[in-house]
Amino acid sequence: MIEEFTKGLIRENPIFIIVLGLCPALAVSTQVVNALGMGAGVIFVLLGSNFFVSVLKDFIPQKVRIPAYIVIIASFVTIVDLSLQAFAPSLSKSLGVFVQLIVVNCIILGRAEAFASKKTLSESLLDALGMGIGFTFGLLLISFFREVLGSGTITLFALGNFNGVIRVPFLYSAPARVIALSTGALLVVGYLKAFFDWMVAKKQESSL
Amino acid sequence: MKQTLIIGAKLALICAVAAVVLGFVNAVTEPRIQLIKERELKQALQAVAGEYTVGEQHIVNNNPTVQAYYPLRGQTTGDVEGWIVSLIGIGYGGEMKILAGYELSGEIFSVILMDNQETPGLGKKAEKPEYMKKFIGTGGADPVPTSKDQLSQEQADAVTGATITFVGIGKALSEGSTFVSELGGEQ
Repeated sequence: MIEEFTKGLIRENPIFIIVLGLCPALAVSTQVVNALGMGAGVIFVLLGSNFFVSVLKDFIPQKVRIPAYIVIIASFVTIVDLSLQAFAPSLSKSLGVFVQLIVVNCIILGRAEAFASKKTLSESLLDALGMGIGFTFGLLLISFFREVLGSGTITLFALGNFNGVIRVPFLYSAPARVIALSTGALLVVGYLKAFFDWMVAKKQESSL
Repeated sequence: MKQTLIIGAKLALICAVAAVVLGFVNAVTEPRIQLIKERELKQALQAVAGEYTVGEQHIVNNNPTVQAYYPLRGQTTGDVEGWIVSLIGIGYGGEMKILAGYELSGEIFSVILMDNQETPGLGKKAEKPEYMKKFIGTGGADPVPTSKDQLSQEQADAVTGATITFVGIGKALSEGSTFVSELGGEQ
C-alpha cells in the first residue's frame, strides 16, 4: 500500500519519469517560492480530484467520464484560486495565471483517468499525495538550479525582518541569465531527467 | 435513448453540485477580495502621489490606453500640480494595469505596475520599484523609451527576456504622457 505513495517520489516521478505537466514545470520554475506555491496548489487539487473520482467511479458513466473529471478538477482549481486571492494575495499575484492553468495540468487528469477511476479510495489518496509531492520535489529541483544559476538568488517567503531573498555570493553579481530563460529551463529539465533515468536504471540493474 | 438521458442527467447533477459549492466559496471570498483590491488601489495611489493629495477619480471612456485620471493637488496651495493616470498596457500575458504620476508637462515622476499576468521571474520583475527608474523623468523634454535602443546597455540587459513587458509599459506611459499634456492644468 505504501508503495502507492513512494512510487511518485522518484521511480515514477511525474516530471522526470512520466514526463507529465511539463508546461507549468517550465513556466513557474523561475523562483523557488513559485515552485512551493504551485506545488501546494497541485497537491490540494490532486487530493480533491482523486478523492471524488475514486468515490464516484461507479456513478460517473464511462462515456462522459472525461467531462465529469474536468468539472471536478476545475471546481477544485477555482476554490484554490479564490482562496489564494482572498487569504494569500501576494502568493496569488506571483503565481498569476498558473493557478488557473492547474485545470489543464495533465498530471491531474492523468492520475484521475489512469489511477483513481480504477482503484480504491485509500490507494487513490496515497497516489495523489505521492504524485503531488513528487511534482513539487521536481519543481523545487528545477527552480533551485534555475534561480541560483540564472539570478544568483533563492527566493522564499518573506518572514518578519527577512525579505525572503537569499543572495548567493559571486553568482548574484554575475548570473548566467540564460538559465533563467526558457532555454535554460529546457536544459535544466533535460539534465535532471538524464540524472533520474540513470538513477532508476542503476537501481533496476542492482536488483536483477 | 433512455441510456443517453441517464448519462446526461448524471453529468448535469455533477455540474449542479459543483456550481452550488463554487457559489458558496465565491460568497465567502468575494467581499475579502474586493476589500483587498480597494486597499491596494488606495495604497498604490498614495505611493505614486508622494507628497501630493489625490483628488477624485475621473473615468475616461474613449481611450483604449487611458482608463481614468486623478488630479494631484499641492498640500499648501491646493492647486492642481500634476495628474495620476490609470493606464492599460499590453504585455506578454495580456493586459497590465499601470498607475503613473505625471507633472503638468507630461513628465513622469512615479510609476507602479499593478495587476498583470507577466511571467514570474521575468516580466514580473517590472513590479519592483527599481525597474521603473528608466521611465522616471521622461515624457517631458525626453521621450518615454519604447524600444531597447533608447536604453543604456545596462538597462537593456536588465529587460532581456521580458522585452514585450518593457515595450508594453513604455507605450502605455507614452500615451499617458500625451494625454496629460493635452489635459494641461485644467480641472
